[in-house]
Amino acid sequence: MKTGRTDLHALGMQAWRGRLALYGAYALIGVIIILLPPFVSADLKSMITKVLIYGIFALSLNLLFGYTGLFSLGHAAFFGVGSYTAAILMMKYGIGNFWLLIAAGLLAATICAAFFGFIVLRVSGIYFLLVSLAIGQLLYSVAIKWRTMTGGINGIAGITYPDIGIPWFTLTSTSFYYLVFIFFVICLFLLYRVVKSPFGHALQGIRGDERRMQCLGYNTWLYKYIAFVVGGLFAGIAGVLAIYQSGVVGPTSLGVLTSTVVMLMVIIGSDRVFLGPVLGAALVVLLGHYSSIYIAERWPMILGGIFVLSVMFLRGGVSIHLVRLWKKVQYRYGST
Amino acid sequence: MEIAVNLLNGISYGMILFIMASGLSLIFGVMGILNLAHGALYVIGAYIGLALATQGIDFFLAALTAGVVIGLLGLVLERALLGRLYKQVNEQVLLTLGLVYIFSNVILWIWGPVTQMGRAPSILQGGVNIGDSSYPLYRLVIILIGLAIFVGLWFFQEKTRIGAIMRAGMDDKQMTIGLGINYGLFYSFIFFLGCLLAGLAGFLGTPVIGIAPWLSFDILLLALIVIVVGGVGYVQGTLVGAILIGVIDSFGRVYFPDFALFTIYLAMIIILLYRPTGLLGRAQ
Repeated sequence: MKTGRTDLHALGMQAWRGRLALYGAYALIGVIIILLPPFVSADLKSMITKVLIYGIFALSLNLLFGYTGLFSLGHAAFFGVGSYTAAILMMKYGIGNFWLLIAAGLLAATICAAFFGFIVLRVSGIYFLLVSLAIGQLLYSVAIKWRTMTGGINGIAGITYPDIGIPWFTLTSTSFYYLVFIFFVICLFLLYRVVKSPFGHALQGIRGDERRMQCLGYNTWLYKYIAFVVGGLFAGIAGVLAIYQSGVVGPTSLGVLTSTVVMLMVIIGSDRVFLGPVLGAALVVLLGHYSSIYIAERWPMILGGIFVLSVMFLRGGVSIHLVRLWKKVQYRYGST
Repeated sequence: MEIAVNLLNGISYGMILFIMASGLSLIFGVMGILNLAHGALYVIGAYIGLALATQGIDFFLAALTAGVVIGLLGLVLERALLGRLYKQVNEQVLLTLGLVYIFSNVILWIWGPVTQMGRAPSILQGGVNIGDSSYPLYRLVIILIGLAIFVGLWFFQEKTRIGAIMRAGMDDKQMTIGLGINYGLFYSFIFFLGCLLAGLAGFLGTPVIGIAPWLSFDILLLALIVIVVGGVGYVQGTLVGAILIGVIDSFGRVYFPDFALFTIYLAMIIILLYRPTGLLGRAQ
């Protein structure tokens, strides 16, 4: 009995130490991101900002795809609605306050998700994929046709940094970088709380076996609907932030191209590890950036190649392998 | 008369969609594989057919060759990649999505971004008088070809041994295999046939809607809408869906030119709200 208890205690200590090491690693990454701006080029700074924004976007998709099992190919619709709402209010109506703009973008994306959620959740399985794809394309064609508001195929360009409501303070690329980092941390924390809550566990139950969850008394439709709306909300936040990073918004940000790229981020990073999509976003953004410098016209082919390779040979994404490596390292060095 | 012309335009356009979408529906219904590269195969087929036709090869021979080449390309894809992912629907979708990007880029690389139009064969270049206007003969022939393919596929599905195996497999695959059917060979045949239809449709469509690299996504979306609206798996549903979408698109372009594609998406959403499994689809 006594030995058993000490074993348990030792095991507990070990798990605790492992977790501490993991938190240490995250804190280290956070500190690096905070200290980085003075030391790197403007180019790299802008790219890290983009990674953080698309990280939020990919995490929001993973709430649907990885946790709930909803294969959406129209998730960019809400990202784009957030972008367009903020851009139109800023450029056409002269609203410069950042907090108003982000609130409006978030609200518009949420309302859109709440509306389209009713349609798309009438169907399931492969039909869900098709209808979500069609909804994205529907908004894409609206953005092209509604020229007076959206600027048609050219979109809205020349978006400058917004006013964040502090009189003596104007945003620069560095302070915007920190602003995005703060938003990223907040979204990360909120989404983590969502997936670790009873609600999040119910979503994973639905992914595993929806009928069983129904038998257990869950209203699975409502759970999926809420997940869809919450996913749309976070995509909207990413969409608003993205317009200040790139300075433009165009119809492709709503369409199937953006939806598939963010899906690739989730797949390559891993849909089974909470932070996987962020790693995927980093890989895709970096790869896209460098290939656009050297071989811009072959980028779609590289993108397609990554799709094929990651489906055929990299099941579960990069993060799964990183997690395994981490466990191995812990096993080797942590037990001493 | 204008309404009749619009209707015929819609039906002939719908027939091209039908030939294309029936291949997609066949593969999806029988094998459960959603091949998103189907649109890219359509475009490659169109370009191969055009290349042959400009060499002076007979129109219908070129169409058939384009179809067979695309069928063989599909067979390679099935054997090399998709065959390893049976029953993993998400993986199949992602894989074929990657193939769309690769194919579209290769198409752009080889044939350039310019829209090309095909020429109808010389015996079909005239018009037919309908009322006081002349209607292109080729479009009427497209309608006939589409109907012929529908009858062929329907006969294949309902009256032949392979069709019986196909329907049996859609109901209960384990049992069908248990009865001694070589399903692997059968799958390859279905995949070949489905891709052949894509290549054929691509080239037959060139005199009507032309061909451009960006069509690979557009035509795929239309075909997906057709099979969603019509109901998956049965060729009758695909025909109904294709004609409906073709006609809605044709009238939409005339009466609401600013919302050309919008009308189709709207129609799909309304139909799905009314019947989640499509007009002629089976209950899930």
